[in-house]
Amino acid sequence: MASAAKRLEAVSGTAAPQISFDAVTLQLGGKTIIENLSLGVRPGEFLCIVGASGCGKTTALRLAAGLYQPTGGKVNFDGQPMREPRREIAIVFQDYGKALLPWRTAAGNVSLALEAGGTPSAERPARIEELLRTVGLPGHAGKYPSEMSGGMQQRLQIARCLAQEPKTLLMDEPFGALDAMTRQGLQDEVLSLVAASGATVIFVTHDLDEAIYLGDRVIGLLPHPGRIGIELKVNLPRPRDQLSTREHPEFLRLRRQLFDFIKATEQ
Amino acid sequence: MNRAVIIWRVASFLVAAGFIALWQLIANLKLVSPVFLPGPDRAWGALVRGFSSGDLWSKLAGTLEHMAYGWLAASIAGIAIGAIIGSSRTMRTYVAPSLEFLRPLPVSAIIPVAIAMLGLTQAMALFVIAFGAIWPIMLATIHGFAAVEPRLYEVARSLQMSRLAVIFKIALPSASPDILAGMRLSLTVALILSVVCEILAGLDGLGHWVLLSARAFRSADLFAGVILLGLTGYVTSVAMSLAEHRLLAWQAAQR
Repeated sequence: MASAAKRLEAVSGTAAPQISFDAVTLQLGGKTIIENLSLGVRPGEFLCIVGASGCGKTTALRLAAGLYQPTGGKVNFDGQPMREPRREIAIVFQDYGKALLPWRTAAGNVSLALEAGGTPSAERPARIEELLRTVGLPGHAGKYPSEMSGGMQQRLQIARCLAQEPKTLLMDEPFGALDAMTRQGLQDEVLSLVAASGATVIFVTHDLDEAIYLGDRVIGLLPHPGRIGIELKVNLPRPRDQLSTREHPEFLRLRRQLFDFIKATEQ
Repeated sequence: MNRAVIIWRVASFLVAAGFIALWQLIANLKLVSPVFLPGPDRAWGALVRGFSSGDLWSKLAGTLEHMAYGWLAASIAGIAIGAIIGSSRTMRTYVAPSLEFLRPLPVSAIIPVAIAMLGLTQAMALFVIAFGAIWPIMLATIHGFAAVEPRLYEVARSLQMSRLAVIFKIALPSASPDILAGMRLSLTVALILSVVCEILAGLDGLGHWVLLSARAFRSADLFAGVILLGLTGYVTSVAMSLAEHRLLAWQAAQR
């Protein structure tokens, strides 16, 4: 219930931001990737970022993760400047194949996060089993990532991120490489996981429908350099449903608005 | 084991038996003087005699000791130095040219240098064997550390893992296939150099045994030593493969 209250707070916009970008500019190799980006993400909010390729959406996520430092402006987490990545912020990478340790089993990969977090080794097996069950991988603990399908590997990466007990989950096109059916299943699972944990999410995707389906708010970036072009509040009821939500008139209206925006940026 | 594998195994044994039969035939027909070429029967006899008198045991132990110490020293130093060089791009840029100069240097060329500095001693042998055997391991380790998936380092950063944890939980396991391949190559180098050092410095071992047997025209003993050296190379290499297979079981899953 606490998380529901938190979500309400997040949507209604009364809470102080957990992550804030204050006039952030990033230059890499003499090129301005992101210019003057200001943005606040409230605790428990599900924010989706969309945009044409090369608009800097992944870069924005890496700034939020602390993997990049801005060349101008500030990125704050809980009011503190982000100087380096931290355990409370978990990142789900798109290329799960590269982000998992191929020499560790599913259990071992989840264990990596627990080891880093200082969970005593006696408590790890139970936690691992619980986390694998949460992401729908019970009974796969002994498998190596290479023995798992793409969808299962991405679930495993999500389990490892949950093991960090993150306040914020950063997801970089996590379902981009998966087939449509697997993707829809995982979308719903992420929604229920996030609802249960109350984590803040920044979700980068190039799939506009996915962004509206998942988010409380959708931000569209303009390219060269990356900056905010459109901001949409998604007032769709939760829990969301693959059929009824996607048929909702509001969903269709937002979809139209977002498609028009993306089309305009591509010209 | 399936049928094809069994057939191949049987075939390879038949080929080996054929070679031994041919060797026996050549020896029996005295195509080569028995002074220089004993038959497999005489070589076997010399092996049995050598082992029952205990002479060959101590020689074998000597060679294994030279080989093992040199190889272990090379492995430890090679992995440590390789890890340092491999994990830093700057280091690679600075050190690579020197390595390229040292690497193709024939080890035999540094033996006189080693003898001049260390004398005809075990320390000299250890130095020469380790120096020769370090290259495959070090170069493989450098490559392995340089090729660690950058994404994994980002995962490590987001987990705020310590430097030590990153080395032992990410870089080292990731580089382990390369490192083990390098160690396997070095095993052969270590055996070769053990024999060379024993011959040159008169250190106790099979190299020395082979040399003395040849000088005394004891061809059966000479061949016994050579066979034993061949077996040593074969057995250590098989042991290494088994170790690799076990340690890299996750790679088998990948294929």
